[in-house]
Amino acid sequence: MAGVTLRGVRKSFGRIEVIHGVDLEVADGEFVAFVGPSGCGKSTLLRLIAGLEEPSAGDLFIGGVRVNDRPPAARGIAMVFQSYALYPHMTAYQNMAFGLTLSRTDKRTIEERVRAAARLLRIEELLDRKPRDLSGGQRQRVAIGRAIVREPQVFLFDEPLSNLDAGLRVQMRLEIARLKADLRATMIYVTHDQVEAMTLADRIVVLNAGRVEQAGTPLELYHHPRNRFVAGFIGSPAMNALDVVSEGRADGAVRVWLPGGVPLEVPVDGAAPPAGTRLTLGVRPEHVGVTDGGAGLVATVTAVERLGGETHCHVALEDGQRLLVRRDGDRPVTAGERLRLNLRGETAHLFGPDGQRL
Amino acid sequence: MNAHRTPSLERQRRRAAWLFLLPMLVVLAGVAGWPLVRTVFFSFTDATLGTLDGFRGVGLDNYLWLMRDPVWWRAVWNTLLFTVVSVAVETALGLGIALILNAHLPGRGLLRAAVLIPWAIPTVVSAQMWGWMFHDLYGVVNAILLGIGLIAEPRAWTADPDLALPVVIAVDVWKSTPFMALLILAALQMLPRDLYEAARVDGVHPVKVFFRVTLPLIRPALMVAVLFRTLDALRVFDLMYVLTGNSRSTMSMSVYARQYLIDFQDVGYGSAAATVLVLVLAAATVLAVTLGRVRVDAGG
Repeated sequence: MAGVTLRGVRKSFGRIEVIHGVDLEVADGEFVAFVGPSGCGKSTLLRLIAGLEEPSAGDLFIGGVRVNDRPPAARGIAMVFQSYALYPHMTAYQNMAFGLTLSRTDKRTIEERVRAAARLLRIEELLDRKPRDLSGGQRQRVAIGRAIVREPQVFLFDEPLSNLDAGLRVQMRLEIARLKADLRATMIYVTHDQVEAMTLADRIVVLNAGRVEQAGTPLELYHHPRNRFVAGFIGSPAMNALDVVSEGRADGAVRVWLPGGVPLEVPVDGAAPPAGTRLTLGVRPEHVGVTDGGAGLVATVTAVERLGGETHCHVALEDGQRLLVRRDGDRPVTAGERLRLNLRGETAHLFGPDGQRL
Repeated sequence: MNAHRTPSLERQRRRAAWLFLLPMLVVLAGVAGWPLVRTVFFSFTDATLGTLDGFRGVGLDNYLWLMRDPVWWRAVWNTLLFTVVSVAVETALGLGIALILNAHLPGRGLLRAAVLIPWAIPTVVSAQMWGWMFHDLYGVVNAILLGIGLIAEPRAWTADPDLALPVVIAVDVWKSTPFMALLILAALQMLPRDLYEAARVDGVHPVKVFFRVTLPLIRPALMVAVLFRTLDALRVFDLMYVLTGNSRSTMSMSVYARQYLIDFQDVGYGSAAATVLVLVLAAATVLAVTLGRVRVDAGG
């Protein structure tokens, strides 16, 4: 097993640079997820690690060895592709064994490894089938099996679940979590689905426009997003953003005015911006409280979405700013109703004009 | 009663379908069906070009004569040899060109268009063109080969019985390789890039990737291309006729049939030859389709 280190890795296609200098340390046995919107460079970064693309600058180490000049096959990696990339004319067994049969591994070893992987993935009875006779989830398992038999130091997953339907995705997510525990290998997992990243990863790397916005454990990113991008990307439904005005510092916190003249004190780490600065207040839908009366933000319910277990109330504040409030599933609430919202400074986040957290 | 079983919408659809098919069926019957039926019919008679109204049935006589004519058998042999060699060479060359065109080369759009030119030229024109180039006195081929010292004296390319068939095959290869290349290129471009990346991660040697992945995956398209070319080659006429006339050393079954039908005005006998040619084509098609399918299932 081995860790992966990226130092100042850049990648340009022609004159367009898509990866702007990424430094990253993935520990041995760690499960790291790359998340970000389409085109953020997460797949390119994975392909750079795999050796399917060559970095324009920077160094790449796997297990402490610089692998920039090594072909993919000599890097000790295995990759699971989004499209599965199974050979359509070969059976599941042949697909899994193909790489080994050509690298002069003896037949007994190949057979043992394929059977072991099939047992682990519970596809033993499917080994004689061709990909076209397999369901999406089964193909995905064969693709993972093909990676396992190579006994790589590092597993690379490129959006492996995005071609599956919602139910199967949840099931395969649990399977991958189980594999992670069984194999104890280093895994790098690319996804645009923050739920996959949150549930699977030891550490999440949020990428945007070819830069690392933040890297940290799932809960770190959830509780302490470094900037508005991370705050909006991690968590579902997404964090609310309210325009507020700073009134200056008060005891390790910044006092801001909410719409309707309600004050709120939000603890911050950095220096407070001068009074009058326009800031963005981030509050997660699950952290917006509703009070029965008295003080609080006055809001009008504009739409109610009932999901059964929970209810999403879309509300409008007095100045027209919109907010999503997450409430219990059976809470009686109707559109047009007036609510008093209660925000707490400890669960709120303040972002400066540059989008960085204060 | 029928109206109860078949819903009226379905009947309307069927009627519309037949209506749409009708013009095509009429044209096919007129230009292909009727001449074919007449040819088969004449093959059992002693009709000549001059006596298409007064003829009598001769049973299988024409066919028996055909089977006893060494010139016919020479034509069959020429045709088969021409077909096997030209299709094999065209497939190999076409595959190579397709693989090159499929690589990400600069200016490959232009290259692709350029490759198509021989295919775009009518066969009679290109045959005539090559006829001049192979001319024994003024031909550029002799000039070049003499110039670089590969031959000591001019060759009669299209007249020499040993050289004529190879020359005809070479011209066919020049003309038809683009067709093969383009059909194969289309198949290559359908192959997902992921497969090749997976093979790279697996560390499979590119040559092995070609034989173990690329070739099996394009085989269905390759089989269709080979079948098309084979049927085309079996009924070859214009190349031989323009390059070497009725010379026995290159005569194909089509040339033989035409010679009897037109030059010797023996419609009955010529029709018998033409009918056998049709049977050979039909047999080749059935053979290729069934063999092709069997092989796809066994290996694929």
